[in-house]
Amino acid sequence: MPVLAFSEGGHHEVSTSVTLLFSAILVAMIASLALEEKIHAKKSLIVGVFAIVVLFLGMVFEVVPGSVPVDILGETLTLPIYIPGIDWSVIAIILGSSLFVDVTSKSGLFTWIAIKLTKASRGEPRRLLWFYGLMTVVFSAVLNNVTAMIIVGSLTGVSLRKLGRAELMLGFLLVEGLLTNIGGLLTLISSVPNIIVGTAAGISFVSFFVAAAPFVVVGTALTIWMGATLFKIPVLRTDEERAEAQRQVEGFDENDGVQSKGFFTFATVMLCAFIVVIATTSVLPYIQDLGMGYVALTFAAIMLIRYKSSVDTYYRAVDWDLLGFFAALFVVINVMEHAQVLTMIGHGLEVIIGWGDVAGTGAILVASALASSVTDNIPLAAMLAKILGGMGTPSDSALWWSVVFGANLGGNITPIGSASTLVAVTIMHKNDLKVSFGGFVTKAVPYAAAQLVLAVLYVLLVLR
Amino acid sequence: MTQVDQFESAFRAATKAVYRPEPVALERVLIVTDLDPVDAQGFGQSIEAFLKHAAGARSATFQTIAGVEARSTGQLLQLVEDAAPSLVCAYRNLYSDGWKWPHSLGEALDLLTQTTEAPVLVLPHPKAERAADHALVNTNRVLAVTDHLAGDDRLVHWAAAMTEDGGTLTLSHVEDAQVFERYLDVISKIPSIDTDNARATIEARLLKEPTDYIDSVRDALAAANTPITVEALVQLGHQLSDYRRLIDERRIDMLVLNTRDDEQLAMHGLAYPIAVELRTVPILML
Repeated sequence: MPVLAFSEGGHHEVSTSVTLLFSAILVAMIASLALEEKIHAKKSLIVGVFAIVVLFLGMVFEVVPGSVPVDILGETLTLPIYIPGIDWSVIAIILGSSLFVDVTSKSGLFTWIAIKLTKASRGEPRRLLWFYGLMTVVFSAVLNNVTAMIIVGSLTGVSLRKLGRAELMLGFLLVEGLLTNIGGLLTLISSVPNIIVGTAAGISFVSFFVAAAPFVVVGTALTIWMGATLFKIPVLRTDEERAEAQRQVEGFDENDGVQSKGFFTFATVMLCAFIVVIATTSVLPYIQDLGMGYVALTFAAIMLIRYKSSVDTYYRAVDWDLLGFFAALFVVINVMEHAQVLTMIGHGLEVIIGWGDVAGTGAILVASALASSVTDNIPLAAMLAKILGGMGTPSDSALWWSVVFGANLGGNITPIGSASTLVAVTIMHKNDLKVSFGGFVTKAVPYAAAQLVLAVLYVLLVLR
Repeated sequence: MTQVDQFESAFRAATKAVYRPEPVALERVLIVTDLDPVDAQGFGQSIEAFLKHAAGARSATFQTIAGVEARSTGQLLQLVEDAAPSLVCAYRNLYSDGWKWPHSLGEALDLLTQTTEAPVLVLPHPKAERAADHALVNTNRVLAVTDHLAGDDRLVHWAAAMTEDGGTLTLSHVEDAQVFERYLDVISKIPSIDTDNARATIEARLLKEPTDYIDSVRDALAAANTPITVEALVQLGHQLSDYRRLIDERRIDMLVLNTRDDEQLAMHGLAYPIAVELRTVPILML
């Protein structure tokens, strides 16, 4: 496999010492991201500072040109290197999706679904865990991991207190946190690593779903079953207990958050349409060339018409830290590519891949998971996607899936492994549940280990 | 974690108190007077006739205590305890001529309301001639009075039980406007909070909860085939003057309110001024 293929595009020759210098900077950036909470700095600023430094050093060591000519509709524009270095289609998907979800949530649709499910559980704790678990997976798949955890986690706190079952909250929140990363595997747009790796590999939305769905189903069932067993989530035995639990959940009014029936219906239709259009983007005439980012932004714009006089409120609510982080990250990765750092890592990966189809693919998955458990999985996914793409890895290779599964599931090993597990821990603390870093790892490792074993088997036996 | 707060708020808002009707066990009614035996008997009969209009008191037995049966507050409390009534009826300023000045409940009634397990129906004084012309005739219009209605099932049980079949039960929830304005004044001095938005949203939320609860009362009583009409009165206002006006305007026959506060020995904050000042109609103090 031509590991250096991607570096043969006219890059400058780079000395080993310069490559090592940039490698050290990359390690420092990843370490800084891992210590994000400790240094009290947002991701966008951390990576932004590194982007500024590597761009400057890249110019000093003649690793990157200051600007590049870009041909647009036959007209050649000269753009600073950091503009075309950013994958704007990924940025468009994230911006459009987050705006769409934010406006849709104002219709009360998600709280309506959540409360309907709570009532359908009739307050039975075991059934409630299954319902909330399934809801977490579906919301993670359709919305995003963090929003899913916020919705289901906040409902968990309120409903378990209402049911007088606050002692079960830790088990519920932990299982939900872990399930966000399972649900995040379901579709191409369910998590950022999926978008990055799937886009780089050229995997369509439908192909991604077909490949990932069986694992998500089995992984979800396994995780909820383990949670119910390890946390001893009870089944109500007597009629009195069941009647009281039912009485408590009947006090929930699913319509309370629905301000307008018309907008509620419109949001429901639009959400279904969004999923259908995103799923079929690759085959829709004209749309397929504009991509999923265009679809996401279009749906966001349609929803914003409802709030046309106050759209600025929604613009302010966009996670600019996340978008800034991505933009800066793409710049850093781009410079690292020119500095031959990715080539160097690619050589290391080639050694692992050289262990064979089975051991190599499995090792990439486990290594991705371990790396994702201590730092952000997005730079990892971006870096590995770039490396695998540069190696000419075909889109049906199991290696792509090793990265996807490893990057997503690694977030379940530690509380800092993914943004959604971090949200789960924050909600735990908000509910006076004292869970330390070590305490989380101790509780989460059995689930994460089971999920990783399942993922390795699945990738090797089904996807390879 | 602002979004966590937002969703928690949405889910808390969706958690509503739902009324579930329960029958009130009104078996023995004890009428306490400081009158001579003959007058006491006449007074007792008039109260019995009045209370027989209440749906919950139709099968109750009535007993009247005359003034000679208790010479001190201690003896009176003992008599009440021995009788173990499910409802005590009395009037203000027992064993005193304090009824001539409308400024107190009198020692006996004050203690009765706080020491007996049973609710106390405070009647207009038989000699004071302050009763409204529509008072003590029937219980066609009953007004439940509180500033915290949502979830107060017991108040509604009793108010419904006191309402005559075919009558109207008005469930009122009056938020103290002065307290509300005091908080809004503080909010108006905090730059990070939009005062107009705070006023609108807090007022709407304060009034929505009792309104939703009254809806659930209406639904539950209808489902139980209780033949009374439930009206809602939910507003910001000045509680005492608003209730005084309502009694006149709607010709209210009985007020029902909570008296006890688990955290103190004295009467509940709103109950005392109402019991002292609204002397024209019977007041059921729970």
